[in-house]
Amino acid sequence: MKKLITAIAGISFLVGMASADVDSDQKAFINYFKTAFPNVEFADYTNGVYSLDEGSRSQFEEILDGIPPYEEAVEKGGKEFVEFGLNKCAAFKDPAAARVKHPYFDEATQKVVTLEAALKACYQEQTGKKLGSKKGKIARISAWISDQAAGEKINVKVEGAAAQAAYDQGKAFFYGKRGQFNMACADCHVYNAGKKARADILSPALGHTTHVPMYRAKWAGLGTLQRRYGGCLSNMRAKPISAQSELMNNLEYFQQAMSNGLEITDARYRK
Amino acid sequence: MKKLLITALSVFSLTAQAGFMDGAHNWNNGSSDPFKSAIKAAEAGYKANLAVNMAWRDTGSMIKEAKKLNAAGKTAAAVALANKAHHQSMNATAQTALAESAGPRF
Repeated sequence: MKKLITAIAGISFLVGMASADVDSDQKAFINYFKTAFPNVEFADYTNGVYSLDEGSRSQFEEILDGIPPYEEAVEKGGKEFVEFGLNKCAAFKDPAAARVKHPYFDEATQKVVTLEAALKACYQEQTGKKLGSKKGKIARISAWISDQAAGEKINVKVEGAAAQAAYDQGKAFFYGKRGQFNMACADCHVYNAGKKARADILSPALGHTTHVPMYRAKWAGLGTLQRRYGGCLSNMRAKPISAQSELMNNLEYFQQAMSNGLEITDARYRK
Repeated sequence: MKKLLITALSVFSLTAQAGFMDGAHNWNNGSSDPFKSAIKAAEAGYKANLAVNMAWRDTGSMIKEAKKLNAAGKTAAAVALANKAHHQSMNATAQTALAESAGPRF
């Protein structure tokens, strides 16, 4: 009996430790940006790079004041959501709740489940067909789902040793240098955020996940967060890793957790 | 004094070796076909990098291009490119160990 109590206490302690790690990681992460950009309020990071640069922000606001270029695609995503019967899947009965819930660590499969992974599974269940991972239909539907949760806050939970391990792998990926340029995600989006890389201002990693899937002018369309990961890896001259692979999902898990507390937004335009 | 001498000589010999091993270093490990051994080393390194998701973007296409050059009879260029690909794979391997435990600098 004594042993059982000790074991339960031990497990509870470890679970507590895991959550504390994420909290302290995020505290340090936020403090870094607070020091680098003392005039930017935490809540404003939901606007990504536009929270750092006035000139870009006014352009961004002008675009939002008109008809944003992604509006039609997002509306189409809403129609597709119903057309393909995705509202019949348990995971998407409440689309807004689905956006807030994902990504999460699934104890049964011992894997991180992203919103797009859940969508792919649901789409296959309903239509018997496969759905892509980066652009087109999946980005439109995912954007529509995210729109339903606009104004709600990101709240990724990392509970338990296995979830912590997935989070840690995503964290190591984010800070690890790779590719011919020997760069890490953090080199651009933490240590050099706000600085220019050629004609572009490097966006802060804090808030990277508030507006996904994003519309990028460069793509002239919508794309998922993991589509962007592929582009970044290629820019670092590292071989892109398949979207929705375990490693990319763990990276997304870490990144979403770092943006906990920021509002999900439907202003998804990026340069 | 003896220890100092041994250390100095070791550093000198390693520096000299490093200096001679430029980008065009021939990694031929004794095989009679220099391309075969160079491409074998490049492919093995690249495969290992892929297995841990640390491969570089262009290594695979360099290997393909080296094979094409060799098939076209341009052996010297093919060997040089295969060696370059092998070099990339070794650098990626060196990154792997550090990347596994990477964390923030703040």
